[in-house]
Amino acid sequence: MAEEMTQEQARIEPSSGVRAVAREELSKRRIWVPLIRVAVIGGFLGLWEAASTWWMEPFLISSPSRIVNSMIQGFQSGDLMHNTWVTFQEIAIGFPVGAICGIALGFSFGRSKNLAEIFEPIIIALNGIPRTALAPLFIVWLGIGLWSKVGVVFLLTFFLNFFNTYAGMRQMDQEYVDLARLMGAGRWKLTFRVILPAIAPYMFTGIRTSIPFSVIGAIVGEFVAATEGLGFFIRMSAGLFRTADVFVGIIVLMFMVIAMDKIAEMIERKALRWQARTDHVTIQG
Amino acid sequence: MEQDDPLSESGIVTLETVVREPGANAPVIKVENATKAFLTPDQGAMVALQDINLDIPYGEFVTVVGPSGCGKSTLLKLIAGLTPLSGGRILYQGAEILGLNTKVGYVPQESKLFPWLNLEENVAFGLDKKRYPRQQREQQARHFIKLAGLTGFEKYYPAQLSGGMGKRASIVRALAYEPPVILMDEPFGPLDAQTRMILQDELLKIWEQKRQTIVFVTHDLVEAVALADRIVVMTHRPGRIKDVLRVGMKRPRDIFEIHRQDGFDRAYGRLWNIFRHELNIKRA
Ligand SMILES: Nc1ncnc2c1ncn2[C@@H]1O[C@H](COP(=O)(O)OP(=O)(O)OP(=O)(O)O)[C@@H](O)[C@H]1O
Ligand SMILES: [Mg+2]
Repeated sequence: MAEEMTQEQARIEPSSGVRAVAREELSKRRIWVPLIRVAVIGGFLGLWEAASTWWMEPFLISSPSRIVNSMIQGFQSGDLMHNTWVTFQEIAIGFPVGAICGIALGFSFGRSKNLAEIFEPIIIALNGIPRTALAPLFIVWLGIGLWSKVGVVFLLTFFLNFFNTYAGMRQMDQEYVDLARLMGAGRWKLTFRVILPAIAPYMFTGIRTSIPFSVIGAIVGEFVAATEGLGFFIRMSAGLFRTADVFVGIIVLMFMVIAMDKIAEMIERKALRWQARTDHVTIQG
Repeated sequence: MEQDDPLSESGIVTLETVVREPGANAPVIKVENATKAFLTPDQGAMVALQDINLDIPYGEFVTVVGPSGCGKSTLLKLIAGLTPLSGGRILYQGAEILGLNTKVGYVPQESKLFPWLNLEENVAFGLDKKRYPRQQREQQARHFIKLAGLTGFEKYYPAQLSGGMGKRASIVRALAYEPPVILMDEPFGPLDAQTRMILQDELLKIWEQKRQTIVFVTHDLVEAVALADRIVVMTHRPGRIKDVLRVGMKRPRDIFEIHRQDGFDRAYGRLWNIFRHELNIKRA
């Protein structure tokens, strides 16, 4: 506590030499990793193009060049844009609402033993239903338009977020809550400064695992009955043997998932800055 | 998490905490026949503490020593109201503790800093917005961070601090908001001898200014004597109070020369006698 013991204060700034070595190692890896990656992807695309040119029917497997063409056409005609927008809307409503409801319920279950005891078996039973099988029912209930798909997206998102948040609540260290309360934390402070941050890693796991499922929900809904949307677009294109368009739809969906995950990852990184991050467990070397 | 806090909410204990009462002989904490049993893994009962009686007057520095597993941590948890009693009762300022006792500060055996808050936020956690306006909050946090020798690490997260640094931070987190009673569970346990002495010295200095009531668990006999007004000696399972020794050393004390101070040898000798007795029993 006295001045003498502040040895740590003399923080060791790595000498420029040390840093240069570290940076060099890093940059060596930075060059190699994407280089190999690009080679793998390029090889795959080349093989695909070759296969469709010489060995297989293009209408079965299409080809990268055909897909690029279709995509450009699709965007130019505005058709693809429109279908993408429709699907995006379904997810943009269903996903956040599902995630928030799931997190809220998981949180309440963790806070209230009674609630958990009454409803846990029911929730687990409901979870046993293959949820995509409910999609036709949603069409019956909510119509052929936007809301039936929002319903399916909600359902798929909700349970994953619920279970992860609830798992987080159950493993929460009671001692943190006790300490905070001893230090005079009220309900509000306890929730936002202690419990939510403590379970945040679980919440983010829920959010990030539910992202692809929310997209699956939208597509399944559109497969069942729809007049627009990427799921509708894919189904219709397949029916007309426009294989390239099928791939275009799949690729757009893929990018949708990637974009959502990147955004979630960014927020997660910010929110979980406090965690000592291990990217890879080092076993050797 | 669910249980409410009857003490603060029913207003039995007033919010304005009294550190030094005029009638300073009245105990701030009174433990009456406290018993605590735990459920064992095979559904039996294990008595951790049995018939504990203890009065702690205002402003006293009490140390608790005893073999590992004798229930020292459990005793602190009972006083803080973190776990319910199996029998007997504990009074805080004459009122029975029925829920969490928010008048006590608690330094747990592991540091238990909130990993998601940085050092500064951790230390300032107990500083109530109403009692401390923003500027004062910051000032107070800074002051205590400096006391812990952690200036410069304000923005560090607990995962980025060493074990000893975390321990120091955890101690000042409890000191910073100045609760009238502080319970410390082997706070200097994992520290090296040098750091330990410096912290003991610093703790005594703070205590001599503020005269908060401190209950301090330790397994180090020298530490127990050096800090205490009274030493509570506990026996092995089931934990009982074997003896309470008064340490007759003058204050302020010089931690670094504690062995040479008048009364140290006598107090230590008595404490050691009790312990030696315990050892003999075990050998027989
Ligand atoms: N939550 C619990 N459930 C069951 N048994 C417990 C629990 N907490 C403590 N005990 C038991 O109570 C006894 C006393 O534990 P306690 O932690 O109070 O010991 P201690 O005196 O603090 O020991 P140490 O010096 O090693 O910290 C031990 O035998 C322990 O097994
Ligand atoms: Mg203990």
